[in-house]
Amino acid sequence: MTDLAGLSSVFGAWYDFRDLNNLQRLITEWIAEWGPDWLASIVTGVLGALGILAVVGPTLLILIWVERKVISRFQQRYGPNRVGPKGLLQPVADAVKLILKEQLAPRAADKLIFFLPPVLIFVPGILIWGVLPFGPRMSVADLNVGVLFLLAVSGTAVLVIFMAGWSSNNKYALFGAMRAVAMSISYEVPMVLALLTLVVFSGTMSINGIVEWQQQEDVIFILLFPLSAIAFFFAASAELNRTPADISEAESEIVAGYHTEYSGMRFGLFYAVELGNTLVVSGFIATFFLGGWWLWGLDQWVPSWIILLAKTAAVYFLLIWTRGTLPRLRIDQLMSFCWKALVPATLLFVVVAFVERTLILSEGWDTTVALPIMAVFNIALTLGAIMLFARVARPAPLRRPARIRMAGADIGGLRAARDVASRREEPQLQVGGD
Amino acid sequence: MSDFGFHLAFWSLAAMTIGGASMIIISRNLVHAVIWLVMSMLGVAGLYLTLSAEFIAVVQVLIYVGAISVLMLFAIMLTPRAERDNSQNIKTAGPAGLVVIMVMIATMWVAIDTDWGAVREAALTEQARLIGESLIKHYILPFEIGAVLLTAALVGAIALARQDDEDAAVHAASLQAELEGDGSVDPVDVVDPPLPSDGEAGS
Repeated sequence: MTDLAGLSSVFGAWYDFRDLNNLQRLITEWIAEWGPDWLASIVTGVLGALGILAVVGPTLLILIWVERKVISRFQQRYGPNRVGPKGLLQPVADAVKLILKEQLAPRAADKLIFFLPPVLIFVPGILIWGVLPFGPRMSVADLNVGVLFLLAVSGTAVLVIFMAGWSSNNKYALFGAMRAVAMSISYEVPMVLALLTLVVFSGTMSINGIVEWQQQEDVIFILLFPLSAIAFFFAASAELNRTPADISEAESEIVAGYHTEYSGMRFGLFYAVELGNTLVVSGFIATFFLGGWWLWGLDQWVPSWIILLAKTAAVYFLLIWTRGTLPRLRIDQLMSFCWKALVPATLLFVVVAFVERTLILSEGWDTTVALPIMAVFNIALTLGAIMLFARVARPAPLRRPARIRMAGADIGGLRAARDVASRREEPQLQVGGD
Repeated sequence: MSDFGFHLAFWSLAAMTIGGASMIIISRNLVHAVIWLVMSMLGVAGLYLTLSAEFIAVVQVLIYVGAISVLMLFAIMLTPRAERDNSQNIKTAGPAGLVVIMVMIATMWVAIDTDWGAVREAALTEQARLIGESLIKHYILPFEIGAVLLTAALVGAIALARQDDEDAAVHAASLQAELEGDGSVDPVDVVDPPLPSDGEAGS
């Protein structure tokens, strides 16, 4: 990890906490001495998963407090301040309350599919941590196709959300699920394109490879491709269902969206995974665009995972900031922003990345000279694109949609939709899903 | 990797794939069938991993689990009569089964006939690069044909989904009538305050 590693036997020993991989390697070698090698791989995997859970679990409890506190400061109120010192024990109290609450299930729900999603939603939420590099050798699985793995795993969460919304047999849950699916299919496109610029430019699909490229060239990607960073940030916050884009659980419109019918700890699991995903996406934004565990040589002195966590916290604060500042957008506004603004802009930057990569590879431009020029050019292009979007080419928002989209009784032959149609005949509206 | 770990992975993944595939046929609910299909596809992705084809495995999850199954669910949601019992399809079971058996025989014949010895060479490390190069160099024509086909499908889908303004007005009117019959508040009829035209709102 460092040049100092050869100087003393302390560096690289199992208690060298700068790189936790040392400890894991010791255990693996110890097992390999007496055990079969499949046991070593299983133990490595289990240790990695336990390590992730041990970090994520307590962090989530603190993050709930942090998020509520920061949001309340944005809204000029105090936030949780009763339970424990400074309200620090509020998340614990909330968790205990959620565990004690009754687990309700609608009578008309599809029982098997209704019970699965709170458990299944954890699978992508935990798997995605596996490819986040905390240090040069500190990721559970440093895959050659890490970027693709990230996209594939985050894509499966949509299916779970759909299962939750559909099986509840509740029109609000169904609308929430439909919105979530439509939105994350759309926002996956700019997300993939933003990551494609990085993959094209650094020439690797390994996430650690992208960090190492930034370290090698002494530049962070947000300087080279600022628009990709902005697009990825927006797309990620849309995929996370956070407030500028939380139409899939917009509480003023559709109760709580896809998890309307989930009570108690089942809802708590959805909530926890959502927070955990926010944290891991902050980590990935920090990794892709801010250099990850590397910080201009500071990683020689400070453990790499502390640098990554600091950057993650900064990005996380930015996510809370946007959540506390921006109002919720309507679905057609979100869609038009995605397809008419983000997709063309990120496509433009994919082409720019191809051209600049070709200039370096084929024309033999020296990277020490070329990269600053390209950075200035790309920043200017980004500012130009944003100005163009803000002043001229801004898609005019529909003040009154020509027709109501994704609403009404004509969504499929679903029981929930039929219930809506049948309730139209009754004098007063009933609460759905009873 | 030793034999035990490999066999454990292979047999559990095979059971997952085949079990999921059988449940697609058995399940009577169309949405359940799609979810079993997802399980089967995940099993296939795992089998690719045991063959150290991680690129194909990840792409399998990305495309089939993340995109195609979601599209299927969307299609089911937008189809009337999607809730019906699948066992009603019993009339078409004969010819469909015949086709499936023929396809299966052809596939198995190819599988048995092929010389799989070449696979025993060292695992490919840079699969993505190799696949990309062969797509661009050797298989450029099928690749381009696929691109054109997908573009045509996209244009066709937009043409099908696009609604003329007149149609939209009729649709809105019918919805409005429907809602008025209900006596609830009409969301279509909320009057906007007079504002500058939308194009200038940002400047």
